[in-house]
Amino acid sequence: MVREFKLPDVGEGVAEGELVSWLVEPGDAVSEDQPVAEVETDKALVEVPSPVDGTVRELRAEAGEMVPVGDVIVTFDVEGEEPAEAEPAESDERAGEPEAEEGGAEAGSEEVATPEGRVFAPPRVRRLAREEGVDLSTVEGSGPGGRITEGDVRAAAEGGASGTAAEADAGAADPASEAGDAGAAQAPASTETTAAPQVESADRDRTLAAPATRRIADEEGVDIDAVPAAEERDGEAFVTPEAVREYAEAQRRAQEADAAALAGREEPAERERREPFTGVRRTIAEAMERSKYTAPHVTHHDEVDVTKLVETRERLKPVAEERGIGLTYMPFIMKAAIAALKEFPQMNAMIDDENEEIVYKNYYNVGVATATDVGLMVPVVEDADRKGLLQLSSEMNELVQKARERSISPNELRGSTFTITNIGGIGGEYATPILNYPEAGILAVGEIKRKPRVVTDEDGNESIEPRSVMTLSLSFDHRLIDGAEGARFTNKVMEYLENPELLLLE
Amino acid sequence: MVVGDIATGTDVLVIGAGPAGYVAAIRAGQLDLDVTLVEKEAYGGTCLNHGCIPSKALITATNVAHEAAHAEEMGVHADPAVDLSGMVGWKDDVVNQLTSGVEKLCKANGVNLIEGEAHFADEHTARVSHGGEGQGSESIEFEHAVVATGSRPIEIPNFSYDDDPVLNSRQALALESIPESLVVVGAGYIGMELAGVFAKLGTDVTVVEMLEDVLPGYEDDLARPVKKRAEEFGVEFHFERTATKWYEHGDGIRVVTEPAGQAQAATDGGAQAREAEEEPLEIDAEKVLVAVGRTPVTETLDLENAGVETDERGFVPTDDRARTNVEHVFAIGDVAGEPMLAHTGSMEGQVAAEVIAGEPSAIDYQAMPAAVFTEPEIGTVGMTQQEAEEQGFETVTGKFPFRASGRALTTGHAEGFVRIVADADAGFVLGAQVVGPEASELIAELGLAIELGATLEDVAETVHAHPTLAESVMEAAENALGRAIHTLNR
Repeated sequence: MVREFKLPDVGEGVAEGELVSWLVEPGDAVSEDQPVAEVETDKALVEVPSPVDGTVRELRAEAGEMVPVGDVIVTFDVEGEEPAEAEPAESDERAGEPEAEEGGAEAGSEEVATPEGRVFAPPRVRRLAREEGVDLSTVEGSGPGGRITEGDVRAAAEGGASGTAAEADAGAADPASEAGDAGAAQAPASTETTAAPQVESADRDRTLAAPATRRIADEEGVDIDAVPAAEERDGEAFVTPEAVREYAEAQRRAQEADAAALAGREEPAERERREPFTGVRRTIAEAMERSKYTAPHVTHHDEVDVTKLVETRERLKPVAEERGIGLTYMPFIMKAAIAALKEFPQMNAMIDDENEEIVYKNYYNVGVATATDVGLMVPVVEDADRKGLLQLSSEMNELVQKARERSISPNELRGSTFTITNIGGIGGEYATPILNYPEAGILAVGEIKRKPRVVTDEDGNESIEPRSVMTLSLSFDHRLIDGAEGARFTNKVMEYLENPELLLLE
Repeated sequence: MVVGDIATGTDVLVIGAGPAGYVAAIRAGQLDLDVTLVEKEAYGGTCLNHGCIPSKALITATNVAHEAAHAEEMGVHADPAVDLSGMVGWKDDVVNQLTSGVEKLCKANGVNLIEGEAHFADEHTARVSHGGEGQGSESIEFEHAVVATGSRPIEIPNFSYDDDPVLNSRQALALESIPESLVVVGAGYIGMELAGVFAKLGTDVTVVEMLEDVLPGYEDDLARPVKKRAEEFGVEFHFERTATKWYEHGDGIRVVTEPAGQAQAATDGGAQAREAEEEPLEIDAEKVLVAVGRTPVTETLDLENAGVETDERGFVPTDDRARTNVEHVFAIGDVAGEPMLAHTGSMEGQVAAEVIAGEPSAIDYQAMPAAVFTEPEIGTVGMTQQEAEEQGFETVTGKFPFRASGRALTTGHAEGFVRIVADADAGFVLGAQVVGPEASELIAELGLAIELGATLEDVAETVHAHPTLAESVMEAAENALGRAIHTLNR
């Protein structure tokens, strides 16, 4: 039995994801919960587990493809149950298979063709079938006399439970099934033509066929004189509707094969390369665009003497290392920023555009912008105000590592109230960070460099000394925060960074 | 685009405001799409202005006159006087009421109406030329286009509709006086409907048909009562003949006919075939009406500029979503090919609009009814017995003659029958044919039965009011089940 597996909502509210890679191939045996695919959504890479024990039957999406949540991405043959009749591998060999029998494999496709011939289902059920992508010709009806009901279509859509040709055949004792199959059964000769190669044109001068058959030939765009005839009547070739469809299908396959062969010959040499704008890159782009075009950005720059902070960190670093924690400057910066946020609550607020409200947040979740191989991610340290330096350091290191390995969950990338980004790792002094919208502020810190500074001693004597200096670039939402306030906030951050012992009071 | 010309934009450009186009436009408007509907002549298209509605108006009016004059057996004695101009005026009032209604409905659904002739400039631009000199033109950029330009009567060699005595159906419906004699070329449903109208008005009607019987495409037993009734009105038939030319003769014209091609003549050794060998046959008349079919109107559209392909007959092939070979261009109604019926076009129009709006809509032709307003009327839906068997069904049929219907007898029209074709195994209704009084109305119930997957028992066990013509439908189903009460079971 075939189980269809739809792309689940891999993260809260995610609408689609990029199928990054398949971890299995058709024919592979899988066990329940075994990862079968990697899907990248909303900045995170997640593994999609198999819902069943079984064998991979068909992969319905290709690597690199954007797949909406709810679309069938893979089908499984469930262990211990009969596989459906129309194996994809076989269908290619059985070039002349009647359409109705291939329908099972097509159930769930985006657009289902209106079935030809009679389907005993009312219009609302036929509409539902189109909505659900169910091929009605493969559905066994459970209604009076075998009529197809809404429930039958929903069942077929959900699990393909009653949506396969195999089952419809198995139900041949049912009058409706017999009726549905009669079209194929009435022309035994057409079965013989199935095995014969269908691409060759018969090229007759005269062909007998029913008007309906001629209409089908017109619709399929084939010359009825070219269709191989399985029967003769009065000494003339007689062509059935099945033969027309088989021939048309064979022609289509031949054309597709030609097209594929031509495509395969294309030279890869190129002056420019195009790739789909998808996945993390697109998510980042959308977030940046929304931020930049929604919140008027102002960036305030300053530099801070962090010589004492460097000394403090040097003193504490071995202590942290003894506890297995690498102590960077970031936890200090986070602590300084939180202390300033508490004094300037609007910097920890956001504008709720939809409801036209300013939302002040009495919790402090600090996002730490992190460069990864696939782009920028912002892991979030929750309730950072309640955590000590070492805990902050430990949690942040863990989150950053997960982001770089792309094993971070979407939930760990959400909910920040203020963001800090370290631009110093690569170079440069200042930046204009884009708000992690809808947050009101983002602080970029530069590399700590030794720079000459005028130092005034207790007696008022000035001297030039080498000092450790860090640059700060604070962008804020000018709708919410005025320039002076931005400067004051920065001053407060600087105060803590210049005098790290003040952090002990926090 | 012309220099200085500013194109207006629209989600959906519908070209042609016939029953396909205006329905597509209204439905698209209902689905919150910005719609522009371009019509070059009159809202309502052929159906409302020159086809279904005017012909049915005149058929009804002539039937009233004819029945009043022939109701002696009901005890009614009358000698009605027919004022054709009055009749045509009443028909025009009906048409005007409907066409202005279409315009109002379009506006009420937010459809932008433009009068003019549209043609494609490229895949996303159309140019609309407004009628008359100095009226100018404009460009419209569209996301989706719906081609609904309909069809017009086919002209045959030597019979130009520009010549006064030669009429197409549209011109025949606008005649100001009743011709004394009329040759009707073509015994399809348009030819037969109009032959009936004029015969009842007292015109001496002769029908020339290339094939061997009236109403090609309909089963013999449906066509036969129509031909018989027409002959009772005095219509004369010549089968397996083609009209090849005409010339003026005396006060009128003389229509020259020749035997149809050997292929047709050789198919039957009967009397009609023998008649075909008699030649020449020339028929005197005042007018000649040519009704040999309709051809799609596509030549003014510059479809190639949009990349839209047509078939060898000029129709625009479409899929079951009404899409042409160009993804965002749709074709509906007559221009999209057979069956060229107003209700088919309307249904295609709805589907096109819904597909454009992203809904999972599709065209399903399994129960497409057809109605012929001859006397008696014909209504068909779904499959004939032969078609059902060709599709592999083992069939059972049930038939009920109107002469066994109490209601039919009380209307004075008891010719014809209701026939239901069903699947012998499960009893599903597959098709139905009705010839007789109100066949065009009765067929609706059977269309519903097919769409709903109803069985013979479903129909038979649905109580029908007495005395009605609709009881015949129930009786036909019972007949198929071998339990009819008012007719002998076969």
